[in-house]
Amino acid sequence: MSTTKRTVLLLLPGFALFLAFLALPLANVVDESFRFFEPGRIGSAKDAPYTLLNYAEILEPAYLRYFAETFRFGVLSSLIAIVVSFPIAYSVARQRSPWLRKLAIGFFVGMMFLSTLVRVYALQLTFGSTGYAHFLAGVLNVSPNSRFYTELIVVFGLLHYLIPISVITLLGTIQNLNPRLIEASQVLGASRLRSHLSITLPLCVPGLLSAFLICFTLCLSAFVIPMVLGKGKVLFVSNLIYARFSEIADYPSGSAVAITMLIIALIAIYGITWLVAKGFSNQDRGRSS
Amino acid sequence: MKRYIDNAADWLSVINVAVLLVFLVVPIVVMIGMSFDGREYMGGFPPSQFSVRWYVSFFSDAYYLRGLSTSLLLAVIATVVSTTAGVSAALALDRYSGPGKQALESLFISPLVVPAVVIGFALLLFFAMIGISDGFTRLVGGHIIITFPYTVRTTLAGLVGIRKTLTEAAMSLGANERQAFWDVTFPLARTGIVAGAVFAFAFSMDDVAVSLFLTSPDSYTLPVAMVSMMRTNFDLTIAAAAVVLMIFTFTLILILDWTIGLDRLIGKGVFRS
Repeated sequence: MSTTKRTVLLLLPGFALFLAFLALPLANVVDESFRFFEPGRIGSAKDAPYTLLNYAEILEPAYLRYFAETFRFGVLSSLIAIVVSFPIAYSVARQRSPWLRKLAIGFFVGMMFLSTLVRVYALQLTFGSTGYAHFLAGVLNVSPNSRFYTELIVVFGLLHYLIPISVITLLGTIQNLNPRLIEASQVLGASRLRSHLSITLPLCVPGLLSAFLICFTLCLSAFVIPMVLGKGKVLFVSNLIYARFSEIADYPSGSAVAITMLIIALIAIYGITWLVAKGFSNQDRGRSS
Repeated sequence: MKRYIDNAADWLSVINVAVLLVFLVVPIVVMIGMSFDGREYMGGFPPSQFSVRWYVSFFSDAYYLRGLSTSLLLAVIATVVSTTAGVSAALALDRYSGPGKQALESLFISPLVVPAVVIGFALLLFFAMIGISDGFTRLVGGHIIITFPYTVRTTLAGLVGIRKTLTEAAMSLGANERQAFWDVTFPLARTGIVAGAVFAFAFSMDDVAVSLFLTSPDSYTLPVAMVSMMRTNFDLTIAAAAVVLMIFTFTLILILDWTIGLDRLIGKGVFRS
């Protein structure tokens, strides 16, 4: 058997899976998204005419609200997540005791792997009406039934999910930073805080940005968290797609929203890849100098 | 002044760690505590009486048990199929160095990039179009495609570290290509393969967004069963179910730590030996 033939054979099963369960279904969604929808049907008719209506609809304020809400929660939660995670990732990365280091890594990996559903239910019990809702709402001086409180719990849900992931992501960035640079600046008289602000942070900017974008893309596709903790008051784009399927069976509109969401996610991920590539070249410079 | 600022920063960082630990751990503790609640009414935390009745109720409820057995079966099938396809694709990609290598690699990773809800929705429409209405078949398709990229990626990462000279050495000592693969490459790549399979199993067990679109009344996963109970029901059987699901997750992490070591998975960075 020739090498090329074997390579093709080895690639075949994966390629078939990709084609059957991703490429063709997505192509079908693209087609469906341009179809005309008659209210009352399930999906579009087989020979429905092509139209741009489903995409035009997305620009209406009623739809844009979902996108705006998703973005608002995504940016806010991702920012809090990386700000909180960075100092923790730093102390884990520079931890001298191997025992503590292993414990910390085990803890964050465990929290990262925790099922989203378990997380969401635990938060619901803790901050719901039988948990500490009255206490927390009392401290913040709001009603536990207010929109603000619900929004707060959704942010808690996102943070519970994002913080372990950003700690692990930032751990990689910080580990590749030369510790001698900090030592040098301290020897030269900078305070520890000052040397972190003027050396660690600038060198970690690509890592921080890519951690932010990873968090942001995860927020974009978050589904269970807003569905359960949002109690119908907070809805993300993914919940809108699900409603198009479960409530009114308007598949063409659901398809148009899905394709728009996919394009936004692709842009964010393209950003991550670009930043990571840039980060590596920065680090090389830091190492050789 | 310098010391004063540094002290303040130290305190801030200690408070940060403390608040974060409380935030991450307390909900889990509350949930585990509540799952052992023995009271007749839905009360606050901590429970004043303890019992295992929610666990008894979970393990005697046909609805949950059916979800659990579907989830386990589905996770096993998805893991086997995607690991087989993933390992073979990774082997091909590792050896191949012609044009389009990068493109092929990102093609196989691409299911990770597509939001889960979009995959679920797309598969729902696709299966309806080609006339497959059996819930379990649809779920298998969905779970294979969301777990496949993990197996490709981890196997590839494991293979990159193996030097070609080792295989060449084995072959110059008289092994044929098949022996060289099974005796040299495979044992060295095993950690990457196991990591991929564990990831695949974990993500299959955890998925809600894709499964919710593909379930049918007689084929549903445990997480889907839990979501629908969460909407309608206020008893603590869900807490018991969540603890059971959590135990599965932590068993998987222990397996990962035993076979590979979490430290190796994360890496120690360039400036540590």
